Amino acid sequence: MTRADWTLLILTLVLLPTLYVGLWGDRGAGESVEIWIPGQKPQVLSLDRNQTVEVQGSLGTSVIEIRDHKARFIASPCTGKVCIHAGWQQHAGELAACLPNKVAIEILGRDRRYDSINF
Amino acid sequence: MTRSTLRPAALGLALVLLLLAGCSREPTLYDRKFLAFGTLVEVSVYGGQRKQVEAAIDAVESQFRYMQKTWNPWHPGALARVDSLLGTTDWFSVAPSVRPLIVRATELSKASGGLFDPAVGQLIKLWGFNQDARPDVPPPDPKAIADLTAQNPRMTDIQFDGIRVRSRNPAVYLDFGGFAKGYGIDRTIDFLKSQGIHNAIINAGGDLRAIGRHGDRPWRIGIRNPRGEGMIASVDVQGDESVFTSGDYERFFIYKGVRYHHIIDPRTGYPTRDTTSATVIGTDGATCDATATAMMVAGPKDWYRVAKAMGAHYVMLMGNDGTVYMNPAMAKRIHFETKKPPKVVLSPPL
Amino acid sequence: MKTITATSEDYLVAWLAALAVTIHVAEAALPSPLPGVKPGLANVITIAVLVRFGWRTAAWVALLRVLAGSLLIGTFLSPTFFLSASGAAASMLVLWPASRLPGRGFGPVGYSLLAAMAHMAGQFAVAYGAFIPHPAMLHLLPVLMTASVVFGVVNGIIVRTLLNSLRAPAAEHAPSPPAP
Repeated sequence: MTRADWTLLILTLVLLPTLYVGLWGDRGAGESVEIWIPGQKPQVLSLDRNQTVEVQGSLGTSVIEIRDHKARFIASPCTGKVCIHAGWQQHAGELAACLPNKVAIEILGRDRRYDSINF
Repeated sequence: MTRSTLRPAALGLALVLLLLAGCSREPTLYDRKFLAFGTLVEVSVYGGQRKQVEAAIDAVESQFRYMQKTWNPWHPGALARVDSLLGTTDWFSVAPSVRPLIVRATELSKASGGLFDPAVGQLIKLWGFNQDARPDVPPPDPKAIADLTAQNPRMTDIQFDGIRVRSRNPAVYLDFGGFAKGYGIDRTIDFLKSQGIHNAIINAGGDLRAIGRHGDRPWRIGIRNPRGEGMIASVDVQGDESVFTSGDYERFFIYKGVRYHHIIDPRTGYPTRDTTSATVIGTDGATCDATATAMMVAGPKDWYRVAKAMGAHYVMLMGNDGTVYMNPAMAKRIHFETKKPPKVVLSPPL
Repeated sequence: MKTITATSEDYLVAWLAALAVTIHVAEAALPSPLPGVKPGLANVITIAVLVRFGWRTAAWVALLRVLAGSLLIGTFLSPTFFLSASGAAASMLVLWPASRLPGRGFGPVGYSLLAAMAHMAGQFAVAYGAFIPHPAMLHLLPVLMTASVVFGVVNGIIVRTLLNSLRAPAAEHAPSPPAP
């Protein structure tokens, strides 16, 4: 086997796993969460850092938790708490909203697992 | 390299670069959210020129605001006026913006055997679902419920004479609810098509209609789990399809451990008790909404008859015990996304 | 009137092409675990030809293999044919600059590995682009490419063994080289 052969083989063996990671990895995984309030510029936060964020809506303060690459409402001034019951939002395209307080969170990412959510 | 090999090599390189250049252009996905109809509306458009698409979405947004005002039965506007006049039982000229809803809702009400009936606005008000935030009060007095139910307000009480209408029954008060949302989605989808946009989704509060595709693949729709976290299922749609779900979790209150939600059974005057949600995939939003609502009222024992009568092709109903009922065609196209698939009961074909 | 005289090289090419076709047809009869995953033993011939006779001859052999093979199996102008043709075209395209590498360049294993990967990539591009543009196809790609790497190396070793065994008997009969 020549030098070129070995170089090619080693290069191939090094690059082949990246094909798996690129195509088999969780392509729908979210990269950031967008906190949307009508009339304001959306706030985009990375999902890499665990944190809690307080946002002011029409009724009061909604609290959003970012942990382990997911985001969710943990507190909101509405009566129904539908936003909190929606639970963790994880994949790109997933969305939860507190309509009374007019605050929504949506996961952004490269490949949206879902183009739209029906509920 | 020798001279003779340079030219073909250069040609080959040029060809490769050309091919790569063709591969890299990915059409844009335009996405906008706004509040309308008391809910979150999301418009997604695949491809198209930025200026043209943004202008179209602007127009859709203002159309939704107009429809919200026009079809709100509880604030001054066209429908509120129609409702107050219906209560007089006299003939009057109905606003052209409201008439089509009445006509279509009456057709669907008949098809549903009365299970879908927006004429029960008074009952909705009695239960407190006419307000965005229902105050924390107990359920209404059973006698009041019984009285209203006995008056039996029905879409079929409305009579037509050209542009004029009247109601035989003064108890009729139209609250179109989700039906208006579905109808509004239909009109705005028509508008997008008229603007040359053929690949888009309009999602209003979770109910959506999708046209075209996402480029080289269908639109992927996730169906939220009514009881747990995340999605219960996903489905691919393309061409021109609506996905509508009615559920007991959208507007509800819990009193003494019992859940009371906004879908009232016109026969009893009470919210339905044994169904968690009903999902319908069909062509237009208005029909899908009426069908899903009627199925909620029909419940796990009677949904098949109603779905068949209303001409549905893909339906799914979830009972309170978590059992999923669907027709075979729906089972073929749905993919369950939960770790443990739910118990499924297949009906005969629709 | 011009007569076409067949040179000895023409005979050789024809014979090698026939061998390649035979192997190709025989292999087509074998079941494959996944569509598109085949050892590609006919490529042993193509690469051996490339090493001994150069790219042009190898290209001829590959072309004849695809055409005659598809005619014999009965898949001429079918989707299978286009997949096979695109795979062969891709591998030959890649082998051309590879064979012009300065210095010692590639050996049979290197050529075979390159050709196998190019062949699989070319086939996949056509299959995904023209026939099944489903995202699930992309999920198959890493597996297909791994198979092509494995078979590429194995075939390369077979080519090398073959070429060595072809040289060795001749060396036995030749006079031993003068001592340095």
